[in-house]
Amino acid sequence: MHNLDEQDAAELQRAALECEAITADLERLKTMIGDAGDRLLASFNVVAALAPQSKRSEEEQRRLSGAIATAVTALQFQDMANQLTAHAQRRLGKLKETVAHFSEGVDPLLVPTRLQPVRQAGMGAGSIDLF
Amino acid sequence: MQSILAVDDSASMRQMVAFTLKGAGYHVIEAADGQEALEKARTTRVDLVLTDQNMPRMDGITLVRELRTMQSFAGTPMLILTTESSDEMKAKGKAAGATGWLVKPFDPAKLLDVIKRVIR
Repeated sequence: MHNLDEQDAAELQRAALECEAITADLERLKTMIGDAGDRLLASFNVVAALAPQSKRSEEEQRRLSGAIATAVTALQFQDMANQLTAHAQRRLGKLKETVAHFSEGVDPLLVPTRLQPVRQAGMGAGSIDLF
Repeated sequence: MQSILAVDDSASMRQMVAFTLKGAGYHVIEAADGQEALEKARTTRVDLVLTDQNMPRMDGITLVRELRTMQSFAGTPMLILTTESSDEMKAKGKAAGATGWLVKPFDPAKLLDVIKRVIR
């Protein structure tokens, strides 16, 4: 156990709780990215499969090809975002280890939890409440 | 038809790569990591390798290094397509025998242009 005064102990406990909250946020973010990526890919596949089947002018064909090429680039976001969140999780893991090391023996009831701005974990349409 | 071995642990990336390459008339062989790619390369004719760097089991640079030891891949163009963009990593890729280094995300037209330039 480290010899900390009450204020230091509270700060460490806040940091530990913040780490836990960020961990949960990152997990939710990963789920949202995965869900959005899967849905976008499924939609892309439908558009890409139907595109060659319908007749259109040269200009329309050019615009469609351009839009599909842009979508191919944009849809790579899932892979890149996953790598970024994984990197953030690794760094956060190290931070948690450090905080835990210095937090041994601190009263866990010292600090309130923070507000969570985003609670949904998917990209589907949200619920509607009419009153 | 020329064959391209496309290697990436991300299914969505493989899908985008395969869509782009097939649309340009290439035959695409897919692998989810370097080890799977190496196994497929031993039994399949490949005209170009396009691989990610960071993957489980075997990374892209190791794959390139392993393939370069095989006589059938001595002259095969090998491109690394990755989020890694540091000069240090590029130098490692070059030393392993990579033909080029492309940073994600790729633009389909530019990717096809590069492939057209290096494939034989």
